[in-house]
Amino acid sequence: MDAQNSMLTAQGIALSFGGIKVLQGLDVEFRAGEVTGLIGPNGAGKTSLFNCLTGAYRPQGGSISFDGRPLDGLSPAARASRGVVRSFQTVALCPELTVVENVMMGLARNYHSGWLSAFLPLARGRREDREMREAAISALASLGLADAADLLPSQLPPGMQRLVEIARAIVGKPSVLLLDEPAAGLNNAETRDLTQTLRNIASPDLVMVIVEHDMDLVMSICDRIYVINFGEVVTCGPPQAVRTNEDVIAIYLGSEDD
Amino acid sequence: MSDSILTMRQERSSLDLRKMVASERIVAGAIIPVLILLPLFVAGSWTYALGVCFANSIGVLAVSALVRYGGEVSIGHSFFAAVGAYSVAILETRAGLPLSISLPVALVAGVLCGIAFAWPSRRLSGIYLAVSTMALALAMPEIIVNADTWTGGFEGLYVSKPLIPGIGIELQRYYVPLVALAVVVYCLSRLRQSRQGRALLLARSHPAAADAFGTRRAWARVSIMGISGGIAAISGAMLAFASSAVSPTVYTFWSSIFLLVGSVVSFYGLTLPRALIGGAFLTLVPQVLSGSGAWIPVLYGLVMLVVILAGHYGPQLSSILFRRGEKR
Repeated sequence: MDAQNSMLTAQGIALSFGGIKVLQGLDVEFRAGEVTGLIGPNGAGKTSLFNCLTGAYRPQGGSISFDGRPLDGLSPAARASRGVVRSFQTVALCPELTVVENVMMGLARNYHSGWLSAFLPLARGRREDREMREAAISALASLGLADAADLLPSQLPPGMQRLVEIARAIVGKPSVLLLDEPAAGLNNAETRDLTQTLRNIASPDLVMVIVEHDMDLVMSICDRIYVINFGEVVTCGPPQAVRTNEDVIAIYLGSEDD
Repeated sequence: MSDSILTMRQERSSLDLRKMVASERIVAGAIIPVLILLPLFVAGSWTYALGVCFANSIGVLAVSALVRYGGEVSIGHSFFAAVGAYSVAILETRAGLPLSISLPVALVAGVLCGIAFAWPSRRLSGIYLAVSTMALALAMPEIIVNADTWTGGFEGLYVSKPLIPGIGIELQRYYVPLVALAVVVYCLSRLRQSRQGRALLLARSHPAAADAFGTRRAWARVSIMGISGGIAAISGAMLAFASSAVSPTVYTFWSSIFLLVGSVVSFYGLTLPRALIGGAFLTLVPQVLSGSGAWIPVLYGLVMLVVILAGHYGPQLSSILFRRGEKR
């Protein structure tokens, strides 16, 4: 299967916590070369679906596969090694690491120098560290953050911290990029910049999925949009079709019966 | 990044951080030559006490490393120190092996014990893990006493072989722990710059994020317990060498508590000055207060309180003074 046909599929995903059904037999399909939006009201199950896709949650039913290979049963770390990476709804950067060090973590799975290199200045460890730093700086530069490399995350405004998270996600050249509310906390100008950045990141061999409440961003960047409510897919289609879908309008604005 | 993005406060906090790191480096740079030359100027009892202090400083680093990289507290690290101490003592007594051979064995034994403890307890955290480590500390003296064929029971064992033949053992009991302390501090500073160190820090602060980028939580827990156990074993080995003996009274539950106290008063620092502050609380402060009779616990507590308060409010105070100085 070539890169053009890469696909992340989730079929019949069922997830519940106690008696609360969060996802109810959800079927989704995310294709490489497309930017797919995942929208819905708060509590619809969008982040829970991300957690199932990355292995943070183990769904009670259904199956997930990428490129035809099942991901079920794999740990989040194992899925990461297959190129499935994500950003988080709340910024999850390590406060003790500098910005560039946080971004370097996105590459850690690709390097394998041993523990001796962690304690002694061995050539292999130094070489790997240099390579990781260069790649991280390059990822930061692509998002306009090169000057912030040696700062701590706490020294950046929330919007820039989100960009650092995106840099960490893209630095390892992932196959699947799941972005959870990347525009949260960004002002209008920053959101515009982010939109352009995400367009630049999109590539024919990348599956990109965005959970986002900023409809302008979703409508302008996504090729397809899934609308989820109460753990079920309400509709799926191109932005124009979703925008005019009566069920979607009812979810967001309320129906006349409500 | 434009200047408008960084506020004045952010610039200041960055400056404060850099100043703190720089000042600790300066202090460490000043301390090392002083410590190298000190035996020329002080009495033998002080060189003995300082040798023990360096060994205890390594133990403090073991606890601090666990706190900093694992986010967990141990009240049982005397167990791992005892593993290191008895490895050295038993190998010398039974096989006549010097420290150059027994120290690596002690290190490996400490790492393996740390891993053996961490694996079944890898899902425990907070108070539950702390109490689990307490079990180790409580068990160790009994294990030592009951295995008296190997450990010498209550009487313990002597460690008398010099590391380097031809150099006075008293000097070696000072310098060998000092070198070991410097090496441990260096290795920990390397760890902070390494991929593994960064992974451990991310796993501590955001386990889900670490998971999502390929760092398994179980790996992080087992790794840091292994590292911490290994450092504690070096501490025990150095303590045995510096004090020339091992006995079960040195590795009790209270020894673990004092290692934690040393770690707290050094604010979990992994630098040489911080480690020495922690080690001093285990060794030098009790020695200085030894003439105070029944007041020793009260004065000890008071000193501890002063150090913690000074460490807590000191940076704020110096920041205020710094700003006043800037205004003038």
